[in-house]
Amino acid sequence: MKHKSSTVAALTGAAMSLPAFAATQPAESTISVSLSQYHEADIPSDKVVVGSNERYDIEVGKFKLVTPIGADWSLTVDTTRETMSGASPWGTLYGTTGEPNLIMSGATISESRTSLAISSTRYTDKASYTLGVSKSEENDYKATSYQVSGEWDREDKLSTFALAFSYSSDELSPTDAVLYGRVPEANQRSRSISGSWTQVLNKNAVLQSGISLTKKDGYLSDPYKLLDVRPDEKTQWAVSLRYRHFYDNRNAALHLDYRYYDDDWGIDSHTIDLSWHQNLGVRFQLVPRIRIYSQAEASFFEAADDYSLPRDQPQSSDYRLSGYGALSVGLKAIYKLPAWTVSLSVDQYRSDERFGHNKSQYEHPALLDFTLTNLGLEYRF
Amino acid sequence: MQLRYIRFKAMGCPCEIRFFHHDDAEAERLADICLTEIRRLEAKYSRYLPASVTNQINDAAGCDPVMIDPETSALLDYAHTCFNQSDGLFDVTSGVLRHLWHDGLLDTPPPSEFEKWLAIVGWQKVRRTATSIALPLAGMEIDFGGVVKEYAADATLALLSQEGVRDCLVNLGGDIAVLGRLANGQPWEVGITHPELPGQVIASIQVGSGAITTSGSYERFIRIGDKKFSHLINPVTGIPADNLQSVTVVAPKAIIAGSICTIAMLREQEGALDFLNSTHLPFLSVDKLGTCHGSLQKE
Repeated sequence: MKHKSSTVAALTGAAMSLPAFAATQPAESTISVSLSQYHEADIPSDKVVVGSNERYDIEVGKFKLVTPIGADWSLTVDTTRETMSGASPWGTLYGTTGEPNLIMSGATISESRTSLAISSTRYTDKASYTLGVSKSEENDYKATSYQVSGEWDREDKLSTFALAFSYSSDELSPTDAVLYGRVPEANQRSRSISGSWTQVLNKNAVLQSGISLTKKDGYLSDPYKLLDVRPDEKTQWAVSLRYRHFYDNRNAALHLDYRYYDDDWGIDSHTIDLSWHQNLGVRFQLVPRIRIYSQAEASFFEAADDYSLPRDQPQSSDYRLSGYGALSVGLKAIYKLPAWTVSLSVDQYRSDERFGHNKSQYEHPALLDFTLTNLGLEYRF
Repeated sequence: MQLRYIRFKAMGCPCEIRFFHHDDAEAERLADICLTEIRRLEAKYSRYLPASVTNQINDAAGCDPVMIDPETSALLDYAHTCFNQSDGLFDVTSGVLRHLWHDGLLDTPPPSEFEKWLAIVGWQKVRRTATSIALPLAGMEIDFGGVVKEYAADATLALLSQEGVRDCLVNLGGDIAVLGRLANGQPWEVGITHPELPGQVIASIQVGSGAITTSGSYERFIRIGDKKFSHLINPVTGIPADNLQSVTVVAPKAIIAGSICTIAMLREQEGALDFLNSTHLPFLSVDKLGTCHGSLQKE
């Protein structure tokens, strides 16, 4: 084995303190704002027994500021405001055809959510450490979470290890609790740990592998459903692989991501994300993307609410716990100027029971189709 | 992707920058950024510009300490490390010895001259803090010449890399810093001039991301009678280096490769080869007899 010469090591150490080689902390501030419009497709009216067949429309406004502070700190402030209107599924029952139909809320739901996240990062030669707090508020839901994370570069700068912990505590206070017999107040907690390893494979390729574990406890049911009883604990874990490859001859980058998720409610899922980042000239980039998702149903999933079961026995007819799959395709255009970046994207999402690798007996009538449009603006100074 | 090729003169040497970029306007802006950075470092540390940091420090020799900025402080820290690692051979205060061996000299200078100039050489005499430097003796000088050109090559490459350029070569008078590859996927190739046959290439070396520098007595030398002496002078003995004709080193940064070359040139007899071997870096040296050593000669 070759020993690294002590002279070369000493000279390298001294050279690395030279200003030209120390660039880690963001050198400039960025402000970004974005507006998104999220539109869920209507549910076919023959699937709805009671209530509105118009689903959610959500408008999201985001503001984010990242700015360096002093020589080796940075501050990030992130706020989001969402306004939602539309109807949501309350329950499921077998209709006249023997297939599950929906009981929907009226189309009168109109609410908003505001969130604020603040984090600060300290940069050293070979590591960075971040501390963050975030708060989110709706009229019936309050969430507070804390995050601590660190990133460490190896000597050769070709690999990075990251570790993060987060804790969140949520309070639910459903509206019209007395009128509809909903739980008046409830709490849930979540603790999560995640780690990742990023390796530069060669000058054009990077691979990141990650693992995460989350434990939730407390009231995990949906208080707005007529009948929804979920276990009060959940352990979930996920592994992921993310691959980036830049093709010199095409002046484009391939992003290929895979994620496997599993939890003790019986759900497991596979997600494949594929996108192609094509540079066109120096200023313009076009990103077509496709996402394939497939999940197996929860062990206590019921196609229709079963009022004959004991009330403490877990059951849920929530479409998000059914076996299904989804296909999403999108296109994003990015235009970069020295101080400004403008982006516009449209994504079309379609879910279908047949796309799932372990489908449910019936296709859930509430499976979502939606369109997401986003306009973003970023300014650097 | 189009190869951009800029030739210019800086720091008293012919220089070139090559990089790949598809947009003309952007390439021009990048070239501008590079030249500005090189000119900035040249002006800041030049011995020939009265207002330079170098001259501010030298003008105050024998008087008060001079306040210095973080970049200068880091360069002096680097020079300090070189001094320690070379047992005092790499010494940024040895520049005054050029008065001892000036061009047009007919014979070896008398011992009294040696005494006079060696008395004001010695990094160990310099008093330093993180923000100041004091040269204690009148006439004492420091010279960043041995590090700034290499540092400028590294700094320019770092700038291009920060601007998103992935394949580039910066050559400042033979101090070469390289990133990425050529358009055909092949590594950048650097020719090393033969020390005895100027204009002829002794070796052609492929360099991945990193740097390659050459130090030789054939380019910059002192002529005394019909003998040529190296411009590198041993700060302890006052005698010009005459062990190696040239040495080329490949290292992660030009500033590191450059100081390894300088230290090797100043070592005597087998000391030079032992030192070069101990670094485990690829090198090519040509000794007085024209014999080549080092792992680069096979390429």
